[in-house]
Amino acid sequence: MADTLDTVITEGKALPLGPYPRIVTKDFEVPGIDRIEVYRQHGGYAALAKALRDIPPDTLAEEVKKSGLRGRGGAGFATGVKWGFLPKTAPKPRYLAVNCDESEPGTFKDRMIMEVSPHLLVEGTILAAYATHVHHAFIYVRGELAFAGRQVERAVREAYDAGLIGKDILGSGFDLDVTVARGAGAYICGEESALMESLEGKRGYPRLKPPFPAVVGLYGGPTVINNAETVSTLPAIVTLGADAYTAYGTEKSKGTRIFCLSGHVERPGNYELPLGTPMRVLIEDFGGGVRGGKRLKAIIPGGSSTPFLLPEHLDTPLDFESVAAAGSMLGSGGVIVLDEDTCIVAAVLRMSEFYRDESCGKCTPCREGTFWLVQLLERLEHGEGKASDLDLLNDICDNIAGKVFCPLGDAATSSIVSSIKLFRDEYLHHVRAHGCLVGPGARKH
Amino acid sequence: MAEQPREDLVNLTIDGRPVSVPKGSLIWAAARKLGIEIPIYCYHPKMEPLGACRMCFVAVEKMPKLATACTTVVTEGMVVRTDTPAVKKGRQGTLEFLLINHPLDCPVCDKGGECDLQDFTLRHGPGGSRFDVSKRHFAKPIPVSEQILLDRERCIACQRCARFCQSVAMEDGLAMQERGFRTEVGVDPAAPFDSIFSGNVVEMCPVGALTAKSYRFVSRPWELKKTGSVCGLCSVGCNVRVDVRVDKVLRQYSRPNDDVDDGWLCDRGRWELDAINSQERLRTPLIRKDGLLQPASWDEAMRLVAGRLREIAERDGPGAVGGIGSTHTTNEEAYLFQKLLRAGLGTNNVDHHHGRFPAAAPGAVLPWAWTDSIAGLERASDILILGADPYHRQPIVDLRIRKAIRAGARVHIVTPEPNRLDRLAATVLRYTPGHTGEIARALLNVVTAEGLTRGEFAAQRAATVEARRASVANDTPEQVAETAGIESAALRALARDLAGAEAAVILYDEMATREPSGATLAADLLDLALLTGNFGRPGAGVGPLMEDNNSLGARDMGLLPDTLPGYRLVADQDARAALGAVWGATLVGEPGQTYEEMLGGGVKALYVLGADPARHLADAQLTHLNGFEFLVVQDMFLTETARRADVVLPAVAYTEKDGSFTNTERRVQRVRQAMQPLPGAKADWEILVGVARALGLSWRYLTPAEILSEIGRTVPLYAGASRRALGELGACWPLSPGARTPEGRPTVSGSPFLTWEMFERGVAPSGVSGATGAAGPELAVARGREE
Repeated sequence: MADTLDTVITEGKALPLGPYPRIVTKDFEVPGIDRIEVYRQHGGYAALAKALRDIPPDTLAEEVKKSGLRGRGGAGFATGVKWGFLPKTAPKPRYLAVNCDESEPGTFKDRMIMEVSPHLLVEGTILAAYATHVHHAFIYVRGELAFAGRQVERAVREAYDAGLIGKDILGSGFDLDVTVARGAGAYICGEESALMESLEGKRGYPRLKPPFPAVVGLYGGPTVINNAETVSTLPAIVTLGADAYTAYGTEKSKGTRIFCLSGHVERPGNYELPLGTPMRVLIEDFGGGVRGGKRLKAIIPGGSSTPFLLPEHLDTPLDFESVAAAGSMLGSGGVIVLDEDTCIVAAVLRMSEFYRDESCGKCTPCREGTFWLVQLLERLEHGEGKASDLDLLNDICDNIAGKVFCPLGDAATSSIVSSIKLFRDEYLHHVRAHGCLVGPGARKH
Repeated sequence: MAEQPREDLVNLTIDGRPVSVPKGSLIWAAARKLGIEIPIYCYHPKMEPLGACRMCFVAVEKMPKLATACTTVVTEGMVVRTDTPAVKKGRQGTLEFLLINHPLDCPVCDKGGECDLQDFTLRHGPGGSRFDVSKRHFAKPIPVSEQILLDRERCIACQRCARFCQSVAMEDGLAMQERGFRTEVGVDPAAPFDSIFSGNVVEMCPVGALTAKSYRFVSRPWELKKTGSVCGLCSVGCNVRVDVRVDKVLRQYSRPNDDVDDGWLCDRGRWELDAINSQERLRTPLIRKDGLLQPASWDEAMRLVAGRLREIAERDGPGAVGGIGSTHTTNEEAYLFQKLLRAGLGTNNVDHHHGRFPAAAPGAVLPWAWTDSIAGLERASDILILGADPYHRQPIVDLRIRKAIRAGARVHIVTPEPNRLDRLAATVLRYTPGHTGEIARALLNVVTAEGLTRGEFAAQRAATVEARRASVANDTPEQVAETAGIESAALRALARDLAGAEAAVILYDEMATREPSGATLAADLLDLALLTGNFGRPGAGVGPLMEDNNSLGARDMGLLPDTLPGYRLVADQDARAALGAVWGATLVGEPGQTYEEMLGGGVKALYVLGADPARHLADAQLTHLNGFEFLVVQDMFLTETARRADVVLPAVAYTEKDGSFTNTERRVQRVRQAMQPLPGAKADWEILVGVARALGLSWRYLTPAEILSEIGRTVPLYAGASRRALGELGACWPLSPGARTPEGRPTVSGSPFLTWEMFERGVAPSGVSGATGAAGPELAVARGREE
């Protein structure tokens, strides 16, 4: 397949961007926006020029803090506050790592940014580095995203050639080098400390904390790690100003966010919407509702590691607090819709296989526990399970969650625990009827 | 508790019991101090915390989740519990996870009985398993090296082995491969696991995943008798646990002594035990009758030895009799051997095979003494390895050098052959074999010619420095480059590095002194250290890496023709008188014959104890051995030399007797009997006592401990040494008696590094040697004559 953006747009149908106010993805339909000339014609790098000319780094950091921007990788930690953890002085250089190792099932926003508008990512990276006094930034791109990686590499080359990266950027005296690194294909490397290990050329294992990356990170230096979408939001914040940015979103979840809508909807895709937009608006107005007029069965609101929600939660506003109150997490913004014909056990089994296969194997509960969980789910799905398996699954999850080395292990338990809670009868149907309740393998009593 | 809370101590409670530990300690260590077991798999006290196995859960007040004791640093006032239901469930959960894929092959697993998975399951685990699906399977076992087998099914992925290879041995070797439940330990096919430190991973493995081929299916651990001792193979003297089953040594494990071995052991020490278990060992004395060595009784053999020695000494004078001692036997045996010759037969004809060093001189620094210590390497900024190969010859010193590198030391490798440390070295220089001495002189040349001398010692001795400059004036690096084929500019740069080093250690091989150019090697390097101020403080020093397990002890005990035990000259009348009074003998003041002189036919009767001179003789010289009127060989085997003997006395291995060895860093350490002596053979000391009695001497030693106590009384370097005082960890000479412990056990205090003031005072604290040091210490060559 050709790598050019046109092809991706015409073939991919991946970008049905809606009519809502869009500030990050506003120019994504512009043909050729991935090239520096077009990007600059549409105001690209103006935010950078403005910042370098008018805004001292600490003021910019303060502005980002005021904007209320929260990390778009999943945890939703306030970006400005995170930057504030960097020690004032340190014996080793400080680094910025932009996390483009987007691997969470159901999440594909960073990929779109990299493929469609890599200069937005690069501009955001430079702004983040400037605000944190970093002179060497790394962009870590998920290994499987070959085209995205090439787009980012070319954008960085173009930016170097245009004097937007390198020595004395735009005459400001600010120096920055940007290195694009490609992962080798491991979910764990999206975890920030494993990402650093991988960047250093080591096996992707998460690191012990403390020390936290802000204190001892990449190559032992203080390190900021920000998500791709997070830094890509910075040009908009600089252009609009923090006050205008905070006009979007809710009290505690400011601004807009790119939601990745997938599953059984008519129009899956990426939609930039203000935080706090009701889930119903995303799924029904933008996504065209459940595919084929089927009924909605369940929603995973923030990527595969977040607990299930039910149709009754459809009016939940998509912001960190409201989704948490509904019993799940906003996570990475990957909204997965399951229709009535979906066997929940099969869905959970499929996700659990992912976590089993992507467990790095460092800590015992995740390595061994996910192996066991999958075997139990397999036999339940195939109608060979026992009723007591449900309690066993829950207890295994209890022995994993909170006891593992890194959040990946916790993530592996969310769908299991929440599905047993919400769909217990469907699990028990598998035991009683030796088959599924719905879907192609359905067996009645 | 009497202990006052100090600033560097942190107070906490564990299960309600207060404990104070140094700042930065882990909860695991604090619990250990209280005797509370917190189970661990991935953590190893000699490596950084990992936090992977999730076995060591504890509950810490105010922490929402369970904490891992091996990664959590204590804080003031911390309240820890190891016995809450949540902790128990956490640990049971982890053990259940570990066991789901662990095969139940304990009955045939070598580790069964000493397995942490078994033991922790017993004490912390669930009684049963809820796992009723399929275990993961691997082909088993697979070799990962010549000596080690891997059973991946038993592996609990604690990473101890992989981390040892990467972070301690700093070499290729075992690594974690694949991920998730497919995780396994493996080797890179392109980088075989051929490390001499490989056996440590077997010992560290908490389960039976890594097992030694030599021990496979050989024994159950509870059948082993385990005795703490010291390895008898090389001069490092690693502390070991000798594991014996009935009459065979099956393995040696590390018995951690942080100062010596840091808790590690090399593969030779661990597995090269064939000599001890050999079927070829001698089991009876042999006497040559009708031209053939034939079995004889001990009584007959000892009477014959004593009778013939006495006969020849009386007929041709004591100078017609001589002895060649061993670098392997204990200090006690070396001491008795020279005592037998000096006090019993009246001759100083006693020597052993050793490096060339300047002779001992009152007040001079002893050039064969490593002036610093093995542990001191960690404090060095620079380490020069000249003409030595510690990886193969003193492996655990090599391992300590690697630790020093991690601490920031720069290593300079100057050797004829490629060295395993090259990859990690700051300088790598090669030269033509046999030219080590010239390299040393070239270094001294640069330091003196360029005015790079440093420190008080050089500052106070302008004339000496000038004399030294003149003595090596022609040995420029450029000149040496011609003869030794070494890169002159790099050699010059190295000399400057050493002179400018914060703290440099200079190490060379004892046997490099035997090269044609090596006559003054020891003295030149000692002077190099003295003149560059790399002497007399931790992390700086100079010394030879000795050949054998008791090479230094043999010297210390006076297996030399010109010195009594402790390097007092035989010419020193006071020293002779003092020792003679204890021994009840009049000692001869004339130095005896050297090793070469005796073997060259200088004596008519030769007593060879634990040595095989035939190994060091050219074929043409072997006939000399046939020329002795009477040749006695005391050994474990019928060596080349023994084949030519008139009487052969069968000796035992170091695992079969008590005693002490002195390692290359001057550490005197106890060796303990780990097994019954081979039937028919006797310990060297016992044989010597028997021969002495047959000679009519009234020796009454019943145990090696009595001999060591006599050494402690008569040899000033070993002042206060005794079986009980040396304790489990030994001490570096010069020793001096320490205070008794509260339990009444005597102690000795040692000297981790030597200062030149020590020599100025005379290393003989009791003054027996008469070395008053009036002249002050001088450069080695300025004082000593060549041996």
